[in-house]
Amino acid sequence: MSQSKQQVYRLNTGGRIDRSRTLSFTFNGQRYQGHPGDTLASALLANGVDIVNRSFKYSRPRGIVAAGAEEPNAIVQLGSSEAAQVPNVRATQQALYEGLAASSTNGWPNVQRDLMGLFGKLGGQFMPPGFYYKTFMAPASMWLTYEKYIRKAAGLGRSPMEADPDNYDHFNQHCDVLVVGAGAAGLAAALAAARSGARVMVADEQEEMGGSLLASRETLEGKPADQWVARVLDELASCENVTLLPRTTANGYHDHNFVTLHERRTEHLGDTAPVENGHRQVRARLHRVRAGQVILSTGAHERPLVYAGNDVPGNLLAGAVSTYIRRYGVAPGRKLVLSTSNDYGYRAALDWKEAGCEVVAIVDAREAPAGDWVDAARAQGIKIITGSAVIEAKGSNRVTAARVAKIDIGAFKVSGPVQELACDTIASSGGYSPVIHLASHTGARPTWRDDILGFVPRLVKGVQACGGANGCYALGDVLAEGVEAGIKAAAAMGHAVQTVTLPSAERLQQGSAVALFQVPHEKPTLRGPKQFVDLQNDVTAAGIELATREGFESIEHIKRYTAMGFGTDQGKLGNINGMAIAARCLNRSIPEVGTTVFRPNYTPVTFGAIVGRHCRDLFDPERYTALHQWHVERGAEFEDVGQWKRPWYYPQKVNGKTETMHEAVARECLAVREKVGILDASTLGKIDIQGPDAREFLARIYTNKWEKLAVGKCRYGLMCKDDGMVTDDGVTSCLAENHFLMTTTTGGAAAILEWLELWHQTEWPELDVYFSSVTDHWATMTITGPEARKLLAEISDLDLDRDSFKFMDWRSGKVAGVPARVFRISFTGELTFEINVQANYAMHVWQTLFKHGEKYGLTPYGTETMHVLRAEKGFIIVGQETDGSVTPEDLGMQWCVGYDKPYSWIGKRALTRSDTKRENRKQLVGLRPKDPKVILEEGAQIVLDPKHAIPMPMVGHVTSSYYSPILDSGFALAVVKGGHQKLGETVYLPMADGQTHEAEIVSTIFYDPKGERQHV
Amino acid sequence: MSNAATFDTRTDTAIPVESPLAYSYRRSGAPQAGGPSRLQLRERAMLGHLILRGGAIVLDEAVRDVLGISLPGQPQALVQDASGERSIQWLSPDEWLVIVPGGEEFPLETKLREQLGSAHFAISDVSGGQTLLELSGEAARELLMKTVIYDVHPSNFPVGKGVTTVFAKATTILRRPSDERWELVVRRSFADYCYRWLLDAGAEFGINVQQ
Repeated sequence: MSQSKQQVYRLNTGGRIDRSRTLSFTFNGQRYQGHPGDTLASALLANGVDIVNRSFKYSRPRGIVAAGAEEPNAIVQLGSSEAAQVPNVRATQQALYEGLAASSTNGWPNVQRDLMGLFGKLGGQFMPPGFYYKTFMAPASMWLTYEKYIRKAAGLGRSPMEADPDNYDHFNQHCDVLVVGAGAAGLAAALAAARSGARVMVADEQEEMGGSLLASRETLEGKPADQWVARVLDELASCENVTLLPRTTANGYHDHNFVTLHERRTEHLGDTAPVENGHRQVRARLHRVRAGQVILSTGAHERPLVYAGNDVPGNLLAGAVSTYIRRYGVAPGRKLVLSTSNDYGYRAALDWKEAGCEVVAIVDAREAPAGDWVDAARAQGIKIITGSAVIEAKGSNRVTAARVAKIDIGAFKVSGPVQELACDTIASSGGYSPVIHLASHTGARPTWRDDILGFVPRLVKGVQACGGANGCYALGDVLAEGVEAGIKAAAAMGHAVQTVTLPSAERLQQGSAVALFQVPHEKPTLRGPKQFVDLQNDVTAAGIELATREGFESIEHIKRYTAMGFGTDQGKLGNINGMAIAARCLNRSIPEVGTTVFRPNYTPVTFGAIVGRHCRDLFDPERYTALHQWHVERGAEFEDVGQWKRPWYYPQKVNGKTETMHEAVARECLAVREKVGILDASTLGKIDIQGPDAREFLARIYTNKWEKLAVGKCRYGLMCKDDGMVTDDGVTSCLAENHFLMTTTTGGAAAILEWLELWHQTEWPELDVYFSSVTDHWATMTITGPEARKLLAEISDLDLDRDSFKFMDWRSGKVAGVPARVFRISFTGELTFEINVQANYAMHVWQTLFKHGEKYGLTPYGTETMHVLRAEKGFIIVGQETDGSVTPEDLGMQWCVGYDKPYSWIGKRALTRSDTKRENRKQLVGLRPKDPKVILEEGAQIVLDPKHAIPMPMVGHVTSSYYSPILDSGFALAVVKGGHQKLGETVYLPMADGQTHEAEIVSTIFYDPKGERQHV
Repeated sequence: MSNAATFDTRTDTAIPVESPLAYSYRRSGAPQAGGPSRLQLRERAMLGHLILRGGAIVLDEAVRDVLGISLPGQPQALVQDASGERSIQWLSPDEWLVIVPGGEEFPLETKLREQLGSAHFAISDVSGGQTLLELSGEAARELLMKTVIYDVHPSNFPVGKGVTTVFAKATTILRRPSDERWELVVRRSFADYCYRWLLDAGAEFGINVQQ
């Protein structure tokens, strides 16, 4: 098939692309063509697209620099529809697919003609590091205004405004050996580990596994290296103990070899996941890997050289040039100048020449380069300029020439005349930086090695680095390191390795590299043209020099002042150069300056993958009682109590209008006080306590006494933490001499069970007692009100006589034909029976109650009515009247404290502290607003003198406040300093709206003060 | 006798019962795979569940006498009788889960209490509080990998093992009674959340719910 005319930089042969098929795509609205196997970046280069973005701060035109995750410029917005928008995709990592639609993330109004560019050009001189801090911070109130425009000008992509149609999920993975990166080292390691039988996972972030071997000019066993890759992958794929994860980036390395992998499962197919068998495929998956051993074979990133104008489109990494030619069949220009400090860079020139393009010159910073690749270049007749470097790239939208001169690295100056070489592409290589990001996530600071001019990872337990990640670059050595790491890791997990024969690699002579982190210019750095260190964040060598001059000496401070290593880049391309420049300016060594801390994630991760399926109605568990469906059908509004959904109130339709909450609650309250109401109380925590020492245990864990509680009786209990503060309450019943049933608050159930176990296991193991949660086993239905007995009598075989089944008794019998335990306890102050049945029978019993309850006016009520009714009786709710700083005495509940119990109990000692004995502690009181129509605000602060100058001394606050239908008045519970001595006094509640309410301190019991109603 | 109250919560009349998933079936349905399914889910409702607490030595003999299977002393062990209908699972050093056919739990508790006499132990009936979900099919393990953090690879999770682990944002007891079956014991109040999670996570495998 003939090549598309547009693909002017596409080579006729070579590369791992499928020229027989054409894919069309758009970039910034322009239509282009590429081939399967292309990345978006290689396709853009093939089509001669030079400018892919505008820079962050100076708005300079930028082109593609790299071929992998380290690409700083080609950050695009992806998505053909609003819902499919994905920001910050690196074009170098995005596989091309038919219909791909991408645009630049930066550039306003567009990349070719950028208004901000003017600002950048004019303002550039005036935008030193810290510019925003220095300029826009005053007046502080204006920052929000400035920010809006700065964001618009800067910006890195945007989020979609419509719901994402795709699915994401999490996989919990476990393996013996996790290999990160499937290049030469990783494949060798994986092969060695796999042959031991160990469970191996291999994650690689590229479309194809093989890393640099896919585009290498080197051979293995005398054949192209990618043949060995294919063989190894075949073997690994056939192993049941191996999981291969291509298109999967290891983004975070957390404690204990917990590694998060982000797998992009369908992003090479389209901008939304395809539908298969009626189900949309999972687009991205987060693998949460717990690995026994981790092998970091993440390779190395090439360091660009830092010279003036090194950001003009057409400046590329030498290795990227090779990759585009050899892997994607694209030569991204016609005339190349290569600037290098080492032998590796020469490969770009050799590949360029073999692709049939012109190499203008190789500019080598070394005086006398020597080595096999250098010889090969000489043999090809390529001109080599030694002891020199490209000191400046000319051109604005594309490189037009390279200015080349002799340099004196030691003296940091240009030492010879400048010559200008016409070219359209400048490739540079400053050597390699091992990819140490993941190892750094563990907190281990890397170590500088002078021999390789790079940082290598310092490793924690259970992790090895090999190959490029370990500063080892010669292919034969890389493979050997990989195999060794694989064997070691498998052995550490108890797996012995069979033989692994290494493929023979060429042994190449290499000259040593020279350290060159910034190329000198004729002008001093601060006054010369910009030399970019971090392209993504527009950090220049001058910026770093200025930062050091302004007193920023720590590399962490320099990073934050200049923004070096921020953003999606995370310092992949520029950090080492930046640190070295800082070291030069500070006159320190690189290890003295050190690195900044790399943090997860290595590359951006879509929120979808982070969230997985923990979203929408699966965001958090919803706990339901056995009666939930009835509540739903009855139209209940629900309240969240912990994870439980409890009916809050049941609004009814009256004359076609739905009741307000106020109306519904008033109706429900009166029904309980005058007839009978029913509450689903199943959510209360229930703990089954058995053992000969159960009673003694209760006496120690509760504040009150339990020694005399007889079988068949119930008692209210109060629990304190060891600091003497109330933490839970509830009724505990004596089922048998050695058997009790404890109830806890709904929210406290799990924590209280743990609390009991904690004290039993750590402090009182000598007590013979066991606890088991039976919360979910029982469904609890509370019928309460004057008609409760009549209703229950209709459907129960229990003797409900007031003298034989007294208040605070429990009995067992049948209710609606179902075995039940019935407790005569009351949280409303009315005659109450709490019916407990095995939860599977609950719906039947509940419905039977309603069948018989209609004539008695049986009314379901929710938590709001429960709150009003209990507050009318002055019953506390732990967590509402208490907040962890309230003692039983503060609540006026001395009656519930067994001061003279023989054995100490939790909280006892704390209650004798001077602070807990203090007289002006906040104490629980009732408040009756002077105006009965006023419902005080919960949380409202209480003062004694409303005329006092602000700030007024605050003496307490309202803890609960409601309208009482039975009293036809607002009323409240509150804590007031010394409140127990202030009965009858007037207090004031100044509100935010300027009103001040007046209230009288009264008893906490507003209704039926003698408690006669619950005893009837 | 241990001086504890026993209480038979079941009734022999024809009173309707609702399993913990009753509401879920009505709300979310019970998907049936059109073609061949790689994943089946079945609730085994209304079984008898007892929590047994005490020292292993104290309990073992009584359990063997009454139930005919020995108490698993090894952590994370699950044993079953020959029919597979009755099982005991180690939960913690002094805690076991006994699951028996529905209705057997009360006579079992009574007999165990008789056998154990005055020893220190506890038996709690939790039959209404939890339900057992059975997963089978070739995708069952993948579904579990999406759901529980525990390592369910056969090398780490052989038949006869059971653990308590995290289920999404809830907890579950996970056990492997046979090669082709996994069992989840979930609490009643979390059952609907767990069910909806399994349907959602299992959709790509064509989950098939057998009622």
